[in-house]
Amino acid sequence: MNLTMLVVLGVIAATSVGMIVLYNRLVRLRNQVKNAWRQIDVQLKRRHDLIPNLVEVVKDYMSYEQETLRQVIAARNRAVAVEGQGFEAAMAAEQGLSGALGRLFALMENYPDLKANNNVTDLMEELSSTENRIAFARQFYNDSVMTKNNAIESFPSNMIANLFNFRHGRYFEIDTAARETPRVDLR
Amino acid sequence: MCGAAARESRIRPGRRGKRLHRTDFVAAAAANRRNTNRLVLLLLLIGAILGYLLGWSLELYTTAAMRQHGVTVWYLSPWGVRGALLLTGFGVLWIVLAFLVGDRIVLGLVGAREVGREELPQLHNVVEEMAIAAGVPKPRVYLIDTPALNALATGLDTRRSAIGVTRGLLDKLDRDELQGVIGHEMGHIVNLDMRYATAVGILVGLIALVADFAFRALYLRGAGRRFGRERSGGSGTVIALLMVLIFAALAPVFAKLVQMAVSRQREFLADATSVRLTRNPHGLISALEKLAVSAEPFRGANRATQHMFIVNPLRNFSEQASRLFATHPPIPARVRRLMNLNGD
Repeated sequence: MNLTMLVVLGVIAATSVGMIVLYNRLVRLRNQVKNAWRQIDVQLKRRHDLIPNLVEVVKDYMSYEQETLRQVIAARNRAVAVEGQGFEAAMAAEQGLSGALGRLFALMENYPDLKANNNVTDLMEELSSTENRIAFARQFYNDSVMTKNNAIESFPSNMIANLFNFRHGRYFEIDTAARETPRVDLR
Repeated sequence: MCGAAARESRIRPGRRGKRLHRTDFVAAAAANRRNTNRLVLLLLLIGAILGYLLGWSLELYTTAAMRQHGVTVWYLSPWGVRGALLLTGFGVLWIVLAFLVGDRIVLGLVGAREVGREELPQLHNVVEEMAIAAGVPKPRVYLIDTPALNALATGLDTRRSAIGVTRGLLDKLDRDELQGVIGHEMGHIVNLDMRYATAVGILVGLIALVADFAFRALYLRGAGRRFGRERSGGSGTVIALLMVLIFAALAPVFAKLVQMAVSRQREFLADATSVRLTRNPHGLISALEKLAVSAEPFRGANRATQHMFIVNPLRNFSEQASRLFATHPPIPARVRRLMNLNGD
């Protein structure tokens, strides 16, 4: 009798400790995903701040590319406008901006004068670093989402996840159109 | 080795390709961690055996154990158990103390100075990029003013860490290669390698110290013995004496071998982590190749700090000949593993 009680109590205790551990792990993963998303936001903001400087510096050199510069500025303004409006809007706007910037970078290759300008090389380093940071932040975000989703789907943490309503994270994906590399005309 | 199609898929990784890479280096990291844990346990075991043997022989010499057990020495010696517990306990305690105090001495030892963002903006950018990829706070950035090509990382946890690179490295590597190297150092930081290195280093030091002490004690005792009570111990003591002598001679060598094996495992692991962070093994591969052919000597490093660098700064011996005692795996082996991670 006494022994049975002890065994039952032991099982209950072990189960609750296990549940607490699993729950805490899920919470930690959820916060990591949130934090990773905020890190992307920080880097996007940094990109938005750098672009006007770059356009200001290069516009005198690239007088024949006014259209491209206008597109970059427009894409940048669209991205700034949807700051803080959530996942969907941000993703669409940032993809547009990435495309416009890619075209600008490709065109800048045609202007050797630009590369001799210290301001421009400094800005280019900052911008390409920002592009890298966005890519790495996205990579870390996606890794975090994958770890969280694995925990939500796999046994036994899926039971805790269902019980406390942990939802799947969404991957930051780039659609096929934005993935196309910019076309460079070599006349 | 890597065709155009493979290169294409690296630039724009398809889903399947990316997942394949992941399993590869995650598996590599898991295997490395397992190996390291086993090696640390092995070191603790060596320490425990040494402690047991010492306690046991001490008991045989100083107590009435001989009278209790007759001539046999095959029994579980309580003094031996105490000796084993004492030595492992002391080892663990020492490790904890080392974690609590001083970890910044290393950077001073190798002559590194902290540099600001305005002095080396690109280096700071690359470090920050890798910190973002690893999801840890940005480490502090140090420069070592030498033409040699090398880099190192310190820090017992991810919140207080630092990365140091040499001036030669900055001059000779392009941005992708630098990123591979910084990724490797970031790998040491996120894999907590400095903890392993510190723990292992202390255990090895402790084992060497105790073995040395045992040697001297037994030698002195043996010298004294010859003059007087030559026959007091009997054959049991002779066996015990021999075993302690042999083990005291072998333990430091084994411990050193284990330490070097741990160090090599961690280098492979850091290489794998670098690729996980950059998703571009080619930067690190070509950086390692440049480091391999660089002949610049590095005077700032010594035996105490050599395991912290990305490639061994002391190259006065043939890598092949003393493979078991090397802190770093040979660079061709590292490049081969990186090619494997690439999946083609």
